[in-house]
Amino acid sequence: MKEVAFYRMKVYWPLYVMAIPGIVFLIIFKYIPLAGAVIAFKDYSVFKGLIDSPWVGFKHFETLLEHPDFARVFGNTLILGFLKLALVFPVPVLLALMINEIRKSALKKGIQTALYIPHFLSWVIVAGIVFDFFSLSGLFNIVIGWFGFEPLLAMQESEYFRPIYVLSSIWRDAGWGTVVYIAAISAIDPQLYESAMMDGASKFRQIRHITFPLLLPTVLVLFLLEIGNFLDLGFDQVYNLITPMTYNVGDILDTYVFRTGIQQAQYSFATAVGLFQSIIGLILVYIFNRMSKKVSDGGLW
Amino acid sequence: MFESRSEKIFVSGITIVLILLSVIALIPLLSVISTSLSSKNAVDMNLVTLWPKQFTFDSWSYIIDRPDLWKSFFLTLVTTVIGTVLALLMTALLAYPLSKSEFRWGSVIMISVVIAMIFKAPIVPYFLTIRGIGLYDNPLVLIIPHILNPFNLIIMRTFFKQFSKELEEAALLEGCGYFRMLFQLVLPLSKAVLATLALFYGVVLWNQFQHPLLFLQNTDWFPLQIKIRQFITDDNVIMAGAASTVDLNYNERTLRAATVIFAILPIIMVYPFLQKYFVKGAMIGSVKG
Repeated sequence: MKEVAFYRMKVYWPLYVMAIPGIVFLIIFKYIPLAGAVIAFKDYSVFKGLIDSPWVGFKHFETLLEHPDFARVFGNTLILGFLKLALVFPVPVLLALMINEIRKSALKKGIQTALYIPHFLSWVIVAGIVFDFFSLSGLFNIVIGWFGFEPLLAMQESEYFRPIYVLSSIWRDAGWGTVVYIAAISAIDPQLYESAMMDGASKFRQIRHITFPLLLPTVLVLFLLEIGNFLDLGFDQVYNLITPMTYNVGDILDTYVFRTGIQQAQYSFATAVGLFQSIIGLILVYIFNRMSKKVSDGGLW
Repeated sequence: MFESRSEKIFVSGITIVLILLSVIALIPLLSVISTSLSSKNAVDMNLVTLWPKQFTFDSWSYIIDRPDLWKSFFLTLVTTVIGTVLALLMTALLAYPLSKSEFRWGSVIMISVVIAMIFKAPIVPYFLTIRGIGLYDNPLVLIIPHILNPFNLIIMRTFFKQFSKELEEAALLEGCGYFRMLFQLVLPLSKAVLATLALFYGVVLWNQFQHPLLFLQNTDWFPLQIKIRQFITDDNVIMAGAASTVDLNYNERTLRAATVIFAILPIIMVYPFLQKYFVKGAMIGSVKG
């Protein structure tokens, strides 16, 4: 036995050495911050440090639930999260089904390139483009001017913030979102289509009765992951698209945590908000996972 | 293959819709490019839609003469290149043992990687941790927090798992150690996944906004995205180098447009070289997880 162990060490030690930098990284950048979330239950002060700051139980959670700002911010987050799920999430599925029908590979590639490119632009840049598009002499106002409409500064009006959030999400990420679905579609057995064609099934019926049902498990998994990030709307996007005039609808949990936690240094309170956000996500994933298991037998676990 | 007439119409209908969507996706970009190449007057008179009017490079030559922009540009270029190389190294070093069944810690580490991917730490303890290890207001914060991403790690591990076992076992019997095997055998044959992950890491490093916003105070270390945001949101910053206000052939808007395109160009230039790899690479990861 000893010799076996000795042999193992002699041959396999490099594998363990290799893993060390990555393990250290995960501990420092993922697990310590995760453990640090306990300050949500403490009155953390920089001078006392993590250990010596007093425990306060659920005090910060009670404060946040009573805080009028929190209700507004939470409401904004729920609305945007819901819009994203209902309007943004289905777009890549539809796009992928459509792209899959194109047989000419050069054309297909061109379309994919055009639809992928916006994903590689930062939200600073995307917001720059969006602001330019809706500026007074921008394309949007020129075009509505042709139809006799008065110029509209959409970025400065709170009623347009949500549509702009949804459209900019679709513009930047819907194309890239098709990659997963196209991969899943290409894994479908071609024999299924052949026998469907023998039976005289039309293209549309093939999509409806073969491609779509076989794509559904992938859609479901991504939907569950999306539900888990329901309240995670993307700090960069909102921070860059918001203007003082759209604050009332655009202020979300992420920007609220940034403002209270980092800028005003209410560390424990903002951590409580962040933790609340993660816990809601977990609960939603759990509920929807159970529902999806009842409906079809797919699910995350 | 037999195709009925209605099916041909169906497919060409889809083709037309997709071509239209692709064009629509590119229109905002085209409009910004045109604005950056048009004169102030043409822009002010609402003449510029998709093509430059009263074509001029004045906005561009102004932007290109801004030393502060170039400073941020080169800082970001350096951090992106170093960060990407380090990230590929870090990812490979952990993904390789994780792909081996003889690595005893494998399953425990995999579970903790997945947990790290699902549970995102709240931003405040993350902030306090980074500050605690001395990365606050330190330019290394532009690199170090980004050099290992759980999702990319899983993609690389999946790729390594598909690797031929015989080849490696033969090499092992020849007395080739795991380090040599990784660097001389496995990595040279993993160009597709390396290119994909280089693109993923590179884009995150190049586009990063939240980290510098949270952690950098010293304006000397402002990376490109923060600089661009100043240019876009603050007319005083973008017009700081303008000589006099009369007779300029550009205005805030044409300059902002040029700034935006300036920051996109490197991505557009790298994209075609990596495109053939990354779709394949992204699929490896997605099919699995």
